[in-house]
Amino acid sequence: MLAGLFAIMTWGMPREQVQAAETYTIGTDVTFAPFEFADKHNQYVGIDIDLLNAIAATEGFKVEWKPVGFNAAVQSLEAGQVDGVMAGMSITPERQAKFAMSDPYYQSGIAMAVARDATIKGLKDLRGKRVAVKTGTASADFANANKAKYGFTTVTFDDSNNVYQDVTTGNSQACFEDFPVMQYGIATGVALRVTNKTPYAANNYGIAVLQSHRQDLLVKINAGLKKLRANGQYDKIVAKYLGDGSQASQAAKTKKTQEGDRSFWGLLQANRATLWAGLVQTLELTVVGILCATVVGILVGLLGVVPNKVAQGVATTFIYIFRGLPMIVLALFIYTGVPGLIHTKIPAFVAGIITLTLNEGAYTAAFVKGGIGSVDGGQMEAARSLGLPWTKAMRRVILPQGLRIMIPSFINQFIITLKDTSILSVLGLLELTQTGKIIIARNMEGFKIWTMVALIYLVIITLLTWLSNYIQKKVR
Amino acid sequence: MTQPRIEMKNVRKHYGHNEVVQGVDLKVEDNEVVVLIGPSGAGKSTVLRMMNGLETTTAGEILIDGTDIAKPHVNIDKVREKIGMVFQHFNLFPNLSVLGNVTLAPVELGLMDKAQADQEARHLLDVVGLADKVDARPASLSGGQKQRVAIARALAMHPDIMLFDEPTSALDPEMVGDVLAVMRKLAADGMTMVIVTHEMGFAKEVADRVVFFGDGQILEQGTPTQLFEHPQHERLQSFLEKVLEA
Repeated sequence: MLAGLFAIMTWGMPREQVQAAETYTIGTDVTFAPFEFADKHNQYVGIDIDLLNAIAATEGFKVEWKPVGFNAAVQSLEAGQVDGVMAGMSITPERQAKFAMSDPYYQSGIAMAVARDATIKGLKDLRGKRVAVKTGTASADFANANKAKYGFTTVTFDDSNNVYQDVTTGNSQACFEDFPVMQYGIATGVALRVTNKTPYAANNYGIAVLQSHRQDLLVKINAGLKKLRANGQYDKIVAKYLGDGSQASQAAKTKKTQEGDRSFWGLLQANRATLWAGLVQTLELTVVGILCATVVGILVGLLGVVPNKVAQGVATTFIYIFRGLPMIVLALFIYTGVPGLIHTKIPAFVAGIITLTLNEGAYTAAFVKGGIGSVDGGQMEAARSLGLPWTKAMRRVILPQGLRIMIPSFINQFIITLKDTSILSVLGLLELTQTGKIIIARNMEGFKIWTMVALIYLVIITLLTWLSNYIQKKVR
Repeated sequence: MTQPRIEMKNVRKHYGHNEVVQGVDLKVEDNEVVVLIGPSGAGKSTVLRMMNGLETTTAGEILIDGTDIAKPHVNIDKVREKIGMVFQHFNLFPNLSVLGNVTLAPVELGLMDKAQADQEARHLLDVVGLADKVDARPASLSGGQKQRVAIARALAMHPDIMLFDEPTSALDPEMVGDVLAVMRKLAADGMTMVIVTHEMGFAKEVADRVVFFGDGQILEQGTPTQLFEHPQHERLQSFLEKVLEA
């Protein structure tokens, strides 16, 4: 049944590799300035973005960027959902074994940053301290390799901003981050300072592509990179974001990408269009999700009350599995797990809708089944004793009574669905929560931006509640 | 002699190891009014509910106009169209008006069009004395009124047989008379009826035959005079003593 559902939902989707051999889908991080980040116009910019676009122009192919977050990008590559990943990715032996890695395009290393007034000077001062790192990064590997030696513990986050925040709030005493990224953050206003002059564990960034692209995309990337280095374009791109390498010139460069007015209203004005786009995506997910989940939920709920052991078993199993799985696990399973199984890409929006349909559908099915079950058994007996077949008795007598019982549960479920769309930000969907993360990744104004996002959710939920109550009154 | 309306042959029902109906043989002829009496738990309601398939049968045959409904794959809906049932707790459909309750089955099953069913329902509601409640909601009716709507609802299908499962047990005493009056009228019109009741006076007056149940078996049956004036079985004698005392 599940396979059938996927088949239906993926049917008719454009297969990118068929339609244009020249366009490659590249996954990237959402919050890895100065390599990739959304500027104040919500356009993706950064060293990675500009560099690959320039390579593509030289070598005659097109790039479709998928800013889904570092982990999701790597998982998408593993699942064959994207052709490559460029996200300040260090070249490691493991990655070279798994993917086709390009020639190095940027030398980096690890910076240790601490609060401005902290006394920590080097790795030796970390004994008994807690260090924040971003999951799946070279910094995280470095921290794990050294924590026994220097006697510190680690805590991991998905976003750089959360890593820095953990240090500024004092929960962690230090963080490890890629050197240029840390410098960018500080230039933007993060209240930390870098302790080391030269990077620890110097390493090289490379572009990872699918093994199957070793003969085409990888060759083009390496050739293009060589040309850009030779003709000086490479240096121009790097200088555009990092200046001459000094903190002051970087701060000056950074300023150009930032909002001028840092007040609440100023930020709201500057990000109005971006937040609006996020809200629209959230509403699209919510409306389509509610519709699909309600249809599936009612069907499965009805299956659960059909006088047939097999049908009831199917319904019970559906509810058991999809109510039991955390939604984030289900979302990642569908988006990055299933494509490997069925050899078809699933667009993030479709994966999000499938996730909502299965998860919210399971909850809906449970209360539909319960609502029908709570109708007095004498009602079915009376209807059947008149000669009405089961389906007619269900439709004309039991369902109208059961639905009335279920109305509050439906309203509750709609509100939960709206809130649960925020979980789909792990798929890189640019809904409200993800939009908030991206804005914060640029300007580091966590408090103000999350306040805006929270207020928008509250307004929408209030409107949804009013609408539901109005409908409820009409029905009664 | 014509075929009996209902014929039960050695009917049994188990709930796990508990045998609640232990080999019942019972015939109900056309136009006959049969009243089932006995202490609670004796199996009389179960036997009644088996007559339209609301309870499954473990063993035996239940012939309704010659069709064995105890067999699997019987079109039970067709059989039920010809058997009306009235419940202790009325079981009116609260989502429909009084008229909607009465017209639902004939219209849904395509026996009549809506206009015809409405007309028929108004007539039946008039017969049971509720012509003025046509548009009322069931929730606004008294128990006695609800039960009379339930009878009209069953009659709308033009049944050959009417089953009554303790139709007055849930009613306030002053409501019982109206319901019994309707049933009396039905009996006088020649309806075949099987009634489970504790109204002994009514049984005496209306029944052609009274059947006494005990422990899932028929212990004694006969005319009201035979059973009420000359009870043979010891259990029946003590049952009547208790009931008539009260």
